[in-house]
Amino acid sequence: MDILIVEDARDQRMMLAVVLKKQGHQVFEAADGQEALEVMAQHPTIRIVISDWMMPNMDGIALCESIRQSKIGGYVYFILLTGKSDRQAMVDGINSGADDFVNKPVDFAELNARLNAGIRIIELKSALENKIQTIEKDLESAAETQARLLAEPAKIQQVDFNWYFKPSRFLGGDMFGYHALDEQTLSFYQLDVAGHGVPSALFSFTLNNLLREGSSASLLKDTVSEPPFYRVKEPDEVLASLNDQFQARPDAMLYFTIAYGIINSRTGSVTMSQAGHPPPLWLSGRSRTIRKIAGGGVPLGMMPGMTYSNVTIDLQPGDRLFLYSDGVTECENSDGEMFGEARLESLLAETFDHSVADMIKRVEQSIIGWTGADVFIDDVTYLVLEWQP
Amino acid sequence: MAFEAKSEAGYTIVSLDETRLDASISEPFRLYLFDQIDSGANQVVIDLGSVRFMDSSGLGVLVAALKKMAGKGALKLAAPQPAVSDLFNLTSMNKLFTISSTVAEAIEG
Repeated sequence: MDILIVEDARDQRMMLAVVLKKQGHQVFEAADGQEALEVMAQHPTIRIVISDWMMPNMDGIALCESIRQSKIGGYVYFILLTGKSDRQAMVDGINSGADDFVNKPVDFAELNARLNAGIRIIELKSALENKIQTIEKDLESAAETQARLLAEPAKIQQVDFNWYFKPSRFLGGDMFGYHALDEQTLSFYQLDVAGHGVPSALFSFTLNNLLREGSSASLLKDTVSEPPFYRVKEPDEVLASLNDQFQARPDAMLYFTIAYGIINSRTGSVTMSQAGHPPPLWLSGRSRTIRKIAGGGVPLGMMPGMTYSNVTIDLQPGDRLFLYSDGVTECENSDGEMFGEARLESLLAETFDHSVADMIKRVEQSIIGWTGADVFIDDVTYLVLEWQP
Repeated sequence: MAFEAKSEAGYTIVSLDETRLDASISEPFRLYLFDQIDSGANQVVIDLGSVRFMDSSGLGVLVAALKKMAGKGALKLAAPQPAVSDLFNLTSMNKLFTISSTVAEAIEG
Protein backbone atom coordinates (compact mmCIF):
# COMPACT_ATOMS: atom_id res chain seq x y z
CA MET A 1 0.00 0.00 0.00
CA ASP A 2 1.25 3.50 -0.76
CA ILE A 3 1.27 5.52 2.45
CA LEU A 4 2.06 9.17 3.06
CA ILE A 5 3.35 10.30 6.46
CA VAL A 6 2.80 13.95 7.26
CA GLU A 7 4.66 15.09 10.35
CA ASP A 8 6.74 18.20 11.02
CA ALA A 9 8.98 16.53 13.62
CA ARG A 10 11.64 14.96 11.46
CA ASP A 11 12.71 12.24 13.90
CA GLN A 12 9.16 11.00 14.46
CA ARG A 13 8.44 11.04 10.76
CA MET A 14 11.52 8.98 9.98
CA MET A 15 10.78 6.51 12.70
CA LEU A 16 7.27 5.94 11.36
CA ALA A 17 8.65 5.62 7.86
CA VAL A 18 11.18 2.99 8.86
CA VAL A 19 8.55 0.90 10.64
CA LEU A 20 6.07 1.06 7.75
CA LYS A 21 8.71 0.32 5.14
CA LYS A 22 9.69 -2.76 7.09
CA GLN A 23 6.12 -3.97 6.72
CA GLY A 24 6.45 -3.72 2.98
CA HIS A 25 4.63 -0.45 2.36
CA GLN A 26 5.77 2.15 -0.11
CA VAL A 27 6.24 5.22 2.09
CA PHE A 28 6.24 8.91 1.16
CA GLU A 29 6.97 11.79 3.53
CA ALA A 30 5.90 15.39 3.94
CA ALA A 31 6.65 17.95 6.66
CA ASP A 32 3.28 19.77 6.55
CA GLY A 33 -0.12 19.80 4.87
CA GLN A 34 0.98 21.96 2.00
CA GLU A 35 3.86 19.66 1.11
CA ALA A 36 1.56 16.65 1.54
CA LEU A 37 -0.78 17.93 -1.18
CA GLU A 38 2.19 18.38 -3.53
CA VAL A 39 3.42 14.85 -2.86
CA MET A 40 -0.07 13.46 -3.43
CA ALA A 41 -0.39 15.32 -6.70
CA GLN A 42 2.82 13.65 -7.89
CA HIS A 43 1.89 10.23 -6.53
CA PRO A 44 -1.77 9.58 -7.13
CA THR A 45 -1.30 5.97 -5.96
CA ILE A 46 -1.18 7.12 -2.32
CA ARG A 47 -4.20 5.58 -0.61
CA ILE A 48 -3.44 6.13 3.08
CA VAL A 49 -2.40 9.35 4.78
CA ILE A 50 -1.12 9.33 8.37
CA SER A 51 -0.99 12.93 9.45
CA ASP A 52 -0.06 14.85 12.55
CA TRP A 53 -2.57 17.44 13.67
CA MET A 54 -0.47 20.49 14.63
CA MET A 55 1.89 21.53 11.84
CA PRO A 56 3.08 24.81 10.34
CA ASN A 57 1.60 26.10 7.02
CA MET A 58 -1.30 23.67 6.87
CA ASP A 59 -2.41 21.53 9.81
CA GLY A 60 -3.80 18.00 9.69
CA ILE A 61 -7.44 18.99 9.75
CA ALA A 62 -7.06 21.52 6.94
CA LEU A 63 -5.17 18.87 4.97
CA CYS A 64 -7.96 16.36 5.49
CA GLU A 65 -10.58 18.88 4.38
CA SER A 66 -8.67 19.78 1.28
CA ILE A 67 -8.18 16.10 0.33
CA ARG A 68 -11.93 15.51 0.76
CA GLN A 69 -12.74 18.50 -1.43
CA SER A 70 -10.21 17.65 -4.12
CA LYS A 71 -10.94 15.39 -7.04
CA ILE A 72 -8.35 12.77 -6.20
CA GLY A 73 -9.35 9.58 -7.99
CA GLY A 74 -10.10 6.80 -5.52
CA TYR A 75 -10.68 7.05 -1.80
CA VAL A 76 -7.89 8.24 0.51
CA TYR A 77 -7.98 6.75 4.00
CA PHE A 78 -7.01 9.42 6.49
CA ILE A 79 -5.53 8.67 9.92
CA LEU A 80 -4.98 11.61 12.25
CA LEU A 81 -2.35 11.57 14.99
CA THR A 82 -3.61 13.28 18.16
CA GLY A 83 -2.59 13.83 21.75
CA LYS A 84 -4.17 11.42 24.20
CA SER A 85 -6.42 13.95 25.91
CA ASP A 86 -7.37 15.79 22.78
CA ARG A 87 -11.03 14.88 22.43
CA GLN A 88 -11.94 18.07 20.61
CA ALA A 89 -9.31 17.34 17.96
CA MET A 90 -10.94 13.97 17.42
CA VAL A 91 -14.40 15.52 16.96
CA ASP A 92 -13.02 18.18 14.61
CA GLY A 93 -11.13 15.48 12.76
CA ILE A 94 -14.20 13.32 12.20
CA ASN A 95 -16.17 16.35 11.09
CA SER A 96 -13.54 17.24 8.53
CA GLY A 97 -13.49 13.73 7.10
CA ALA A 98 -10.80 11.78 8.97
CA ASP A 99 -11.36 8.03 9.09
CA ASP A 100 -9.40 7.06 12.16
CA PHE A 101 -7.10 8.27 14.96
CA VAL A 102 -3.93 7.15 16.59
CA ASN A 103 -2.77 8.62 19.86
CA LYS A 104 0.69 10.05 20.23
CA PRO A 105 3.15 8.72 21.18
CA VAL A 106 2.40 6.11 18.58
CA ASP A 107 1.95 2.53 19.67
CA PHE A 108 3.10 0.59 16.63
CA ALA A 109 0.96 -2.47 17.28
CA GLU A 110 -2.10 -0.23 17.40
CA LEU A 111 -1.05 1.70 14.32
CA ASN A 112 -0.61 -1.56 12.49
CA ALA A 113 -4.07 -2.78 13.49
CA ARG A 114 -5.64 0.48 12.37
CA LEU A 115 -3.71 0.41 9.10
CA ASN A 116 -5.05 -3.07 8.42
CA ALA A 117 -8.58 -1.82 9.04
CA GLY A 118 -7.94 0.97 6.54
CA ILE A 119 -6.54 -1.43 3.97
CA ARG A 120 -9.64 -3.62 4.30
CA ILE A 121 -11.86 -0.63 3.55
CA ILE A 122 -9.76 0.46 0.61
CA GLU A 123 -9.84 -3.03 -0.86
CA LEU A 124 -13.60 -3.33 -0.39
CA LYS A 125 -14.05 0.00 -2.04
CA SER A 126 -11.93 -0.89 -5.02
CA ALA A 127 -13.73 -4.23 -5.44
CA LEU A 128 -17.01 -2.31 -5.42
CA GLU A 129 -15.68 0.17 -7.96
CA ASN A 130 -14.65 -2.67 -10.24
CA LYS A 131 -18.11 -4.17 -10.06
CA ILE A 132 -19.73 -0.83 -10.76
CA GLN A 133 -17.41 -0.39 -13.71
CA THR A 134 -18.51 -3.73 -15.12
CA ILE A 135 -22.17 -2.77 -14.73
CA GLU A 136 -21.61 0.61 -16.32
CA LYS A 137 -19.82 -1.01 -19.24
CA ASP A 138 -22.78 -3.32 -19.72
CA LEU A 139 -25.15 -0.38 -19.58
CA GLU A 140 -23.06 1.52 -22.09
CA SER A 141 -23.08 -1.35 -24.53
CA ALA A 142 -26.83 -1.73 -24.02
CA ALA A 143 -27.18 1.97 -24.79
CA GLU A 144 -25.18 1.47 -27.98
CA THR A 145 -27.49 -1.37 -28.93
CA GLN A 146 -30.44 0.87 -28.21
CA ALA A 147 -28.96 3.61 -30.39
CA ARG A 148 -28.52 1.11 -33.23
CA LEU A 149 -32.20 0.17 -32.98
CA LEU A 150 -33.26 3.73 -33.68
CA ALA A 151 -34.51 4.40 -37.17
CA GLU A 152 -32.17 6.53 -39.29
CA PRO A 153 -33.52 9.91 -40.39
CA ALA A 154 -35.13 9.11 -43.74
CA LYS A 155 -37.42 10.21 -46.49
CA ILE A 156 -40.06 7.55 -47.09
CA GLN A 157 -42.69 8.14 -49.78
CA GLN A 158 -42.64 11.97 -49.66
CA VAL A 159 -42.47 12.05 -45.90
CA ASP A 160 -39.30 13.29 -44.22
CA PHE A 161 -38.60 11.89 -40.78
CA ASN A 162 -36.00 13.26 -38.41
CA TRP A 163 -35.56 13.23 -34.66
CA TYR A 164 -33.62 14.01 -31.51
CA PHE A 165 -33.06 11.38 -28.84
CA LYS A 166 -31.14 11.75 -25.60
CA PRO A 167 -31.61 9.10 -22.91
CA SER A 168 -31.37 10.42 -19.35
CA ARG A 169 -28.32 8.31 -18.46
CA PHE A 170 -27.08 5.33 -20.44
CA LEU A 171 -30.52 3.86 -21.10
CA GLY A 172 -33.87 5.38 -21.78
CA GLY A 173 -37.47 4.29 -21.87
CA ASP A 174 -38.29 6.53 -24.83
CA MET A 175 -38.61 5.02 -28.28
CA PHE A 176 -39.87 6.07 -31.69
CA GLY A 177 -40.07 4.76 -35.21
CA TYR A 178 -41.59 5.04 -38.67
CA HIS A 179 -42.20 2.39 -41.31
CA ALA A 180 -44.06 1.89 -44.55
CA LEU A 181 -47.10 -0.32 -44.11
CA ASP A 182 -47.77 -0.40 -47.86
CA GLU A 183 -46.97 1.76 -50.87
CA GLN A 184 -48.99 4.71 -49.59
CA THR A 185 -49.39 4.24 -45.86
CA LEU A 186 -46.73 4.91 -43.24
CA SER A 187 -46.97 4.36 -39.54
CA PHE A 188 -45.07 6.47 -37.01
CA TYR A 189 -44.97 6.59 -33.25
CA GLN A 190 -43.25 7.96 -30.24
CA LEU A 191 -43.59 6.27 -26.89
CA ASP A 192 -42.34 6.77 -23.36
CA VAL A 193 -42.12 3.90 -20.88
CA ALA A 194 -42.55 5.12 -17.29
CA GLY A 195 -39.31 5.15 -15.32
CA HIS A 196 -35.74 4.82 -16.59
CA GLY A 197 -32.99 2.28 -16.66
CA VAL A 198 -32.85 -1.35 -17.61
CA PRO A 199 -36.50 -2.45 -17.10
CA SER A 200 -37.89 0.53 -19.01
CA ALA A 201 -35.32 0.18 -21.79
CA LEU A 202 -35.92 -3.55 -22.23
CA PHE A 203 -39.64 -2.92 -22.44
CA SER A 204 -39.16 -0.14 -24.99
CA PHE A 205 -36.98 -2.53 -27.09
CA THR A 206 -39.81 -5.06 -27.06
CA LEU A 207 -42.39 -2.49 -28.07
CA ASN A 208 -40.17 -1.18 -30.81
CA ASN A 209 -39.77 -4.65 -32.27
CA LEU A 210 -43.51 -5.19 -32.20
CA LEU A 211 -44.32 -1.91 -33.85
CA ARG A 212 -41.90 -2.59 -36.67
CA GLU A 213 -43.78 -3.66 -39.71
CA GLY A 214 -43.07 -7.24 -40.62
CA SER A 215 -42.56 -8.58 -37.15
CA SER A 216 -46.00 -7.46 -36.17
CA ALA A 217 -48.25 -7.85 -39.19
CA SER A 218 -51.15 -8.85 -36.99
CA LEU A 219 -50.74 -5.89 -34.67
CA LEU A 220 -50.80 -3.30 -37.44
CA LYS A 221 -52.75 -5.09 -40.15
CA ASP A 222 -55.73 -7.41 -40.47
CA THR A 223 -55.97 -10.15 -43.06
CA VAL A 224 -59.06 -9.90 -45.22
CA SER A 225 -60.45 -12.21 -47.87
CA GLU A 226 -60.45 -9.68 -50.69
CA PRO A 227 -57.58 -7.90 -52.44
CA PRO A 228 -55.27 -6.53 -51.31
CA PHE A 229 -55.94 -9.16 -48.60
CA TYR A 230 -55.04 -6.89 -45.74
CA ARG A 231 -56.45 -3.90 -43.95
CA VAL A 232 -54.30 -1.34 -42.16
CA LYS A 233 -55.62 -1.14 -38.65
CA GLU A 234 -56.81 2.19 -37.34
CA PRO A 235 -54.52 3.71 -34.66
CA ASP A 236 -57.13 3.34 -31.92
CA GLU A 237 -57.34 -0.40 -32.61
CA VAL A 238 -53.57 -0.73 -32.40
CA LEU A 239 -53.49 1.05 -29.03
CA ALA A 240 -56.36 -0.99 -27.60
CA SER A 241 -54.67 -4.25 -28.54
CA LEU A 242 -51.27 -3.11 -27.19
CA ASN A 243 -53.05 -2.14 -23.99
CA ASP A 244 -54.57 -5.56 -23.52
CA GLN A 245 -51.33 -7.29 -24.42
CA PHE A 246 -49.13 -5.41 -21.93
CA GLN A 247 -50.93 -5.07 -18.64
CA ALA A 248 -48.54 -3.99 -15.90
CA ARG A 249 -48.40 -5.73 -12.54
CA PRO A 250 -49.23 -3.57 -9.50
CA ASP A 251 -45.78 -4.10 -8.00
CA ALA A 252 -43.95 -3.18 -11.23
CA MET A 253 -45.90 -0.54 -13.07
CA LEU A 254 -44.26 -0.73 -16.48
CA TYR A 255 -46.77 1.25 -18.46
CA PHE A 256 -46.21 3.65 -21.34
CA THR A 257 -47.65 6.65 -23.08
CA ILE A 258 -47.68 6.78 -26.85
CA ALA A 259 -48.73 8.85 -29.82
CA TYR A 260 -49.29 6.53 -32.80
CA GLY A 261 -50.32 7.63 -36.25
CA ILE A 262 -50.65 6.60 -39.85
CA ILE A 263 -50.18 8.94 -42.77
CA ASN A 264 -51.35 8.54 -46.33
CA SER A 265 -48.31 9.74 -48.21
CA ARG A 266 -50.37 10.61 -51.33
CA THR A 267 -53.09 12.67 -49.71
CA GLY A 268 -51.40 13.92 -46.53
CA SER A 269 -54.25 12.58 -44.43
CA VAL A 270 -53.06 11.66 -40.94
CA THR A 271 -54.93 9.65 -38.34
CA MET A 272 -53.56 9.62 -34.83
CA SER A 273 -54.45 8.02 -31.56
CA GLN A 274 -52.89 8.80 -28.21
CA ALA A 275 -52.61 7.24 -24.81
CA GLY A 276 -51.67 9.83 -22.23
CA HIS A 277 -48.87 11.26 -24.38
CA PRO A 278 -48.13 14.99 -24.71
CA PRO A 279 -50.30 16.12 -27.65
CA PRO A 280 -48.30 16.22 -30.90
CA LEU A 281 -48.02 19.64 -32.50
CA TRP A 282 -49.19 20.32 -36.05
CA LEU A 283 -47.08 23.03 -37.63
CA SER A 284 -48.61 24.58 -40.73
CA GLY A 285 -46.02 26.49 -42.70
CA ARG A 286 -48.54 28.29 -44.91
CA SER A 287 -50.80 29.64 -42.22
CA ARG A 288 -47.95 29.81 -39.71
CA THR A 289 -50.05 28.20 -37.07
CA ILE A 290 -49.30 25.61 -34.43
CA ARG A 291 -52.14 23.40 -33.29
CA LYS A 292 -52.22 20.71 -30.65
CA ILE A 293 -53.62 17.43 -31.80
CA ALA A 294 -55.99 16.77 -28.94
CA GLY A 295 -55.48 13.38 -27.38
CA GLY A 296 -55.88 12.14 -23.86
CA GLY A 297 -56.39 8.44 -23.35
CA VAL A 298 -55.30 6.25 -20.48
CA PRO A 299 -51.62 5.24 -20.78
CA LEU A 300 -51.13 1.70 -22.09
CA GLY A 301 -50.74 -1.08 -19.55
CA MET A 302 -52.62 0.62 -16.73
CA MET A 303 -56.03 -0.96 -17.02
CA PRO A 304 -57.43 -3.58 -19.39
CA GLY A 305 -60.39 -2.91 -21.65
CA MET A 306 -59.64 0.75 -22.37
CA THR A 307 -60.73 2.33 -25.62
CA TYR A 308 -58.94 5.04 -27.54
CA SER A 309 -60.03 7.61 -30.07
CA ASN A 310 -58.76 8.70 -33.46
CA VAL A 311 -58.17 12.22 -34.69
CA THR A 312 -57.83 12.76 -38.43
CA ILE A 313 -56.21 15.84 -39.93
CA ASP A 314 -55.29 16.79 -43.49
CA LEU A 315 -51.77 18.05 -43.91
CA GLN A 316 -50.95 20.70 -46.50
CA PRO A 317 -47.71 20.30 -48.44
CA GLY A 318 -44.83 21.37 -46.19
CA ASP A 319 -46.79 20.82 -42.96
CA ARG A 320 -44.97 19.21 -40.09
CA LEU A 321 -45.87 17.13 -37.07
CA PHE A 322 -43.82 17.40 -33.89
CA LEU A 323 -44.14 14.44 -31.51
CA TYR A 324 -42.35 14.65 -28.19
CA SER A 325 -41.95 13.07 -24.78
CA ASP A 326 -42.62 14.94 -21.54
CA GLY A 327 -38.85 15.09 -20.94
CA VAL A 328 -38.84 18.03 -23.37
CA THR A 329 -41.34 20.21 -21.52
CA GLU A 330 -40.53 19.02 -18.02
CA CYS A 331 -36.81 19.74 -18.06
CA GLU A 332 -36.01 22.32 -15.42
CA ASN A 333 -33.71 25.31 -15.22
CA SER A 334 -31.58 26.06 -12.17
CA ASP A 335 -34.59 27.64 -10.41
CA GLY A 336 -36.67 24.51 -10.86
CA GLU A 337 -38.87 26.12 -13.51
CA MET A 338 -39.99 23.80 -16.29
CA PHE A 339 -39.37 24.47 -19.96
CA GLY A 340 -43.10 24.12 -20.57
CA GLU A 341 -45.39 23.83 -23.57
CA ALA A 342 -45.74 27.57 -24.14
CA ARG A 343 -42.00 28.01 -24.48
CA LEU A 344 -41.76 25.04 -26.82
CA GLU A 345 -44.54 26.38 -29.03
CA SER A 346 -43.14 29.88 -29.27
CA LEU A 347 -39.74 28.40 -30.10
CA LEU A 348 -41.26 26.25 -32.85
CA ALA A 349 -43.14 29.29 -34.18
CA GLU A 350 -39.75 30.76 -35.08
CA THR A 351 -38.73 27.73 -37.13
CA PHE A 352 -41.23 27.80 -40.01
CA ASP A 353 -38.53 29.04 -42.40
CA HIS A 354 -35.94 26.58 -41.16
CA SER A 355 -35.24 23.12 -42.43
CA VAL A 356 -36.34 20.21 -40.27
CA ALA A 357 -32.70 19.54 -39.36
CA ASP A 358 -32.24 23.18 -38.28
CA MET A 359 -35.41 23.11 -36.29
CA ILE A 360 -34.25 20.00 -34.45
CA LYS A 361 -30.95 21.64 -33.65
CA ARG A 362 -32.61 24.83 -32.41
CA VAL A 363 -34.88 22.96 -30.04
CA GLU A 364 -31.91 21.00 -28.74
CA GLN A 365 -29.87 24.16 -28.16
CA SER A 366 -32.77 25.81 -26.46
CA ILE A 367 -33.29 22.93 -24.04
CA ILE A 368 -29.59 22.69 -23.28
CA GLY A 369 -29.54 26.46 -22.72
CA TRP A 370 -32.53 26.11 -20.39
CA THR A 371 -31.16 23.29 -18.25
CA GLY A 372 -27.56 24.52 -18.42
CA ALA A 373 -26.39 20.95 -19.02
CA ASP A 374 -26.56 18.36 -21.72
CA VAL A 375 -27.33 15.54 -19.32
CA PHE A 376 -31.07 15.48 -18.70
CA ILE A 377 -33.02 14.07 -15.77
CA ASP A 378 -35.58 12.45 -18.04
CA ASP A 379 -35.24 11.09 -21.56
CA VAL A 380 -35.62 13.85 -24.11
CA THR A 381 -37.05 12.75 -27.44
CA TYR A 382 -38.80 14.41 -30.32
CA LEU A 383 -39.78 13.10 -33.71
CA VAL A 384 -40.52 15.43 -36.59
CA LEU A 385 -42.16 14.52 -39.88
CA GLU A 386 -42.71 16.76 -42.86
CA TRP A 387 -45.04 15.98 -45.75
CA GLN A 388 -43.47 17.10 -49.03
CA PRO A 389 -45.53 15.71 -51.94
CA MET B 1 -41.01 10.79 3.92
CA ALA B 2 -44.24 11.89 5.48
CA PHE B 3 -47.22 9.68 4.74
CA GLU B 4 -50.22 9.60 7.01
CA ALA B 5 -53.47 7.69 7.19
CA LYS B 6 -56.52 8.50 9.26
CA SER B 7 -60.04 7.16 9.36
CA GLU B 8 -62.95 9.42 8.65
CA ALA B 9 -66.56 8.52 7.90
CA GLY B 10 -65.66 4.99 6.90
CA TYR B 11 -62.82 6.13 4.63
CA THR B 12 -59.10 5.78 5.02
CA ILE B 13 -57.68 9.18 4.13
CA VAL B 14 -54.07 8.89 3.03
CA SER B 15 -52.13 12.12 2.77
CA LEU B 16 -48.56 12.78 1.88
CA ASP B 17 -46.65 15.79 3.04
CA GLU B 18 -44.55 16.09 -0.10
CA THR B 19 -44.54 18.68 -2.88
CA ARG B 20 -43.24 16.22 -5.48
CA LEU B 21 -44.61 12.75 -6.04
CA ASP B 22 -41.83 11.50 -8.28
CA ALA B 23 -39.37 8.64 -8.68
CA SER B 24 -37.59 9.54 -5.43
CA ILE B 25 -40.59 8.75 -3.23
CA SER B 26 -42.89 6.70 -5.42
CA GLU B 27 -41.56 3.35 -4.23
CA PRO B 28 -41.90 4.09 -0.47
CA PHE B 29 -45.32 5.60 -1.15
CA ARG B 30 -46.37 2.48 -3.06
CA LEU B 31 -45.29 0.27 -0.15
CA TYR B 32 -47.20 2.51 2.26
CA LEU B 33 -50.37 2.36 0.18
CA PHE B 34 -50.07 -1.41 -0.28
CA ASP B 35 -49.69 -1.79 3.49
CA GLN B 36 -52.90 0.16 4.00
CA ILE B 37 -54.72 -2.02 1.48
CA ASP B 38 -53.26 -5.22 2.94
CA SER B 39 -54.44 -4.22 6.38
CA GLY B 40 -57.97 -3.95 5.11
CA ALA B 41 -58.46 -0.40 3.85
CA ASN B 42 -60.96 -0.67 0.98
CA GLN B 43 -62.51 2.80 0.94
CA VAL B 44 -59.48 5.00 0.32
CA VAL B 45 -59.12 8.68 -0.44
CA ILE B 46 -55.66 9.94 -1.38
CA ASP B 47 -55.27 13.58 -0.42
CA LEU B 48 -52.94 15.13 -3.01
CA GLY B 49 -53.27 18.64 -1.64
CA SER B 50 -49.55 19.15 -1.01
CA VAL B 51 -48.33 17.69 -4.30
CA ARG B 52 -47.34 20.34 -6.80
CA PHE B 53 -45.63 18.01 -9.27
CA MET B 54 -46.21 14.39 -10.17
CA ASP B 55 -44.26 12.39 -12.71
CA SER B 56 -44.95 9.10 -14.46
CA SER B 57 -43.74 7.00 -11.53
CA GLY B 58 -46.03 8.91 -9.15
CA LEU B 59 -48.95 8.33 -11.48
CA GLY B 60 -47.93 4.66 -11.68
CA VAL B 61 -48.23 4.31 -7.91
CA LEU B 62 -51.82 5.58 -7.86
CA VAL B 63 -52.80 3.13 -10.58
CA ALA B 64 -50.82 0.33 -8.91
CA ALA B 65 -52.92 0.82 -5.76
CA LEU B 66 -56.07 0.74 -7.86
CA LYS B 67 -54.95 -2.48 -9.56
CA LYS B 68 -54.05 -4.01 -6.22
CA MET B 69 -57.54 -3.35 -4.88
CA ALA B 70 -58.77 -5.26 -7.91
CA GLY B 71 -62.24 -3.78 -7.96
CA LYS B 72 -62.92 -4.48 -4.27
CA GLY B 73 -63.77 -1.16 -2.70
CA ALA B 74 -63.05 2.35 -3.91
CA LEU B 75 -59.97 4.49 -4.40
CA LYS B 76 -60.59 8.20 -4.84
CA LEU B 77 -58.20 11.04 -5.51
CA ALA B 78 -58.72 14.40 -3.88
CA ALA B 79 -57.47 17.98 -4.07
CA PRO B 80 -55.11 17.84 -7.07
CA GLN B 81 -53.20 21.05 -7.71
CA PRO B 82 -53.18 22.54 -11.24
CA ALA B 83 -50.11 20.69 -12.60
CA VAL B 84 -51.41 17.41 -11.21
CA SER B 85 -54.85 18.09 -12.68
CA ASP B 86 -53.20 18.70 -16.05
CA LEU B 87 -51.46 15.34 -15.80
CA PHE B 88 -54.76 13.65 -14.86
CA ASN B 89 -56.44 15.26 -17.88
CA LEU B 90 -53.65 14.28 -20.25
CA THR B 91 -53.81 10.68 -19.07
CA SER B 92 -57.63 10.50 -18.77
CA MET B 93 -57.42 9.47 -15.13
CA ASN B 94 -61.11 10.34 -14.70
CA LYS B 95 -61.78 7.08 -16.54
CA LEU B 96 -60.09 5.15 -13.72
CA PHE B 97 -60.68 7.26 -10.60
CA THR B 98 -63.23 9.49 -9.00
CA ILE B 99 -61.36 12.77 -8.69
CA SER B 100 -62.69 15.37 -6.25
CA SER B 101 -61.55 18.88 -5.60
CA THR B 102 -61.55 18.41 -1.82
CA VAL B 103 -61.30 15.51 0.60
CA ALA B 104 -64.72 16.37 2.05
CA GLU B 105 -66.24 16.15 -1.40
CA ALA B 106 -64.57 12.77 -1.98
CA ILE B 107 -66.14 11.44 1.23
CA GLU B 108 -69.59 12.78 0.45
CA GLY B 109 -69.59 11.79 -3.22
